[in-house]
Amino acid sequence: MHESATAADVREAAPGVCVIDITGDVTAASEEALVAAYDDASARGARAIVLSFAGLAYMNSGGIGLIVMLLVRAQRADQRVLAYGLSGHYRQIFELTRLDEAVAIHDSEQDALRVASAMG
Amino acid sequence: MTALTRSVLRKLAPRRRATAADAPIGPPAAAAAAAQPARAPVEIAPDDPLLAYLQAAGEAVDVEALELDSPALRELRAARVRIAVPLVAQGELIGVLSLGARRSEQDYSSDDRRLLDNLAARAAPALRVGQLVREQQAEAATRQRFEQELEIARLIQQHFLPKQLPDLGGWQLAAFYRPAREVGGDFYDVIPLPDGRVGLVVGDVTDKGVPAALVMSATRTILRATATRLVEPGTVLEHVNEHLCPDMPEKMFVTCLYGVLEPATGLLRFANAGHDVPYVRTAGGVVELRARGMPLGLLTGMAYEEKEMVLAPGDSVLLHSDGIVEAHAPDREMYGFPRLKATVGRGPGGQELIDVVLADLDAFTGPGAEQEDDITMLSLQRTATAAAAPAAASAGDGDAQVLAEFELPSVPGNERQALAGVAVAVAGLALAPAQLERLKTAVAEATMNAIEHGNENVAARAVAIRVLHQPARARLRVQVTDGSHGGELPAPEVPDIDAKLAGTQLPRGWGLLLIESMVDETRVSSGPQGHTLELVLYLEGDPDDDA
Repeated sequence: MHESATAADVREAAPGVCVIDITGDVTAASEEALVAAYDDASARGARAIVLSFAGLAYMNSGGIGLIVMLLVRAQRADQRVLAYGLSGHYRQIFELTRLDEAVAIHDSEQDALRVASAMG
Repeated sequence: MTALTRSVLRKLAPRRRATAADAPIGPPAAAAAAAQPARAPVEIAPDDPLLAYLQAAGEAVDVEALELDSPALRELRAARVRIAVPLVAQGELIGVLSLGARRSEQDYSSDDRRLLDNLAARAAPALRVGQLVREQQAEAATRQRFEQELEIARLIQQHFLPKQLPDLGGWQLAAFYRPAREVGGDFYDVIPLPDGRVGLVVGDVTDKGVPAALVMSATRTILRATATRLVEPGTVLEHVNEHLCPDMPEKMFVTCLYGVLEPATGLLRFANAGHDVPYVRTAGGVVELRARGMPLGLLTGMAYEEKEMVLAPGDSVLLHSDGIVEAHAPDREMYGFPRLKATVGRGPGGQELIDVVLADLDAFTGPGAEQEDDITMLSLQRTATAAAAPAAASAGDGDAQVLAEFELPSVPGNERQALAGVAVAVAGLALAPAQLERLKTAVAEATMNAIEHGNENVAARAVAIRVLHQPARARLRVQVTDGSHGGELPAPEVPDIDAKLAGTQLPRGWGLLLIESMVDETRVSSGPQGHTLELVLYLEGDPDDDA
């Protein structure tokens, strides 16, 4: 009954830029879905990965740990991570955990993609 | 030699074989078949006269020579089938071999026909065995699916029943729930209400299995949420009905009795949505708690009559489901209301009354009888003459009102229920949206902590959650208690994003930081129940706090 329902779909938004559309929950139980999406994006040669939280229903500390894990991997692979679509509440959580210093948070997909493409 | 195109045989459902068979027929003649793609088998409708003809013929039939008004026969001719050989096993037509013209274009000889009949006679039993094996496999798969569904239904049901009943000073409260093998939709609930009042619920959803369990869980959730907001039992049922009606599946509804007890005075106010009438044993005999009302989920705009009665010391109430009165003896006699009423009149109260009813029911249905429907009882007896426990949540809580109190098994992911339960409980306080979001995150994290660290993910060890409101102090307090009794856990390291990104700290470990950042105060205490983490929210917050 309480299985985490996470969908993480990857799409190539621009050359070298992949968006991961996250829908549902981000908890410790989302590891498989998120890691698979990250691997998929990396396999497509993404230099910048944009996390879309527009479909996020619920995120807990386990999910934050998972995002940190992805950040560590992205850092090692020299990839940039951006995000958009966070609600005010989760934006606050990104700020107080200082995750916002490692993930560039944007208001819209357009903004995130413009920055990601410019980093080229 | 004949050109045997192919035998097309399909499983015939056993229950249909008795009346008719939709025996499929093979594609057309080889000469034609060589040049044409194979066609779909010809379906013979159950009422097609060809079916009876083939079944009776028992030998190869010349399709061209047949004189029958049969759609299937026309189709066979169109497919250029010349000979149809019935495959009959144990007197049942189970398929047909269909053949086109001979390669030589000559008619089939009597030798050919004998050979075909022989072949059909040998093939039919083997084919039937194959069909039976397939049928059995399909039945086994269906049975397995059914059992899985029952298990899911049982899990849902059990999950939404109270794990333990509140301790009401001066009252004996006991409950019993036993699902039938094919789980029904019974439920009961005991809801702590403001001012020390207690909501008592017994209900029954029509239908069985997963659909009933889902409707039951929805009803119980809506009822709980409504009961803590509204006072009058009739109004509560009205609201529940309005919420249930739009989404209620067709032909389903819920019967439900809802009563509100004031333990201190013995006043029981109740309303009934078409549920079996409860009995009260009083000094003057057994009385029925009657109140008019339609079952929930049928029609909107329903009103529910409200009645009340004062339970005197010694009085005993039994709320029950129809699984008791509709149980049958081996001679099909029904247990019935009069017998239950008499048992209540004889019996004591509380758990003993439940035991007496069960013993009487078992004696009535006979040894080894399978229980036909869920059996649910909620038994309440006023035992003491002294005034019952006061409304306060506990010593030192002053004006605190308990908005909700519930328990969850220590299963990862259950924190979602905790936050949902707390959100429902505080719905009447009109928190600012951002404050509510922060409370939900804090409750979820505190519950995760209790599940994982306090109770070590052992499902049977419950996490208890209590929501208290102190209007005079403008405080909301949520207590999350696990079952641990060990010493204090070592203080976890303060999470640091730089250290985590550098790999010198694990990526996880954000829970406590979140909890402390989301609420105004946190307090940790230990008691006989275990460790409690209390989250305190100041209700007169920043008026601009609306994100």
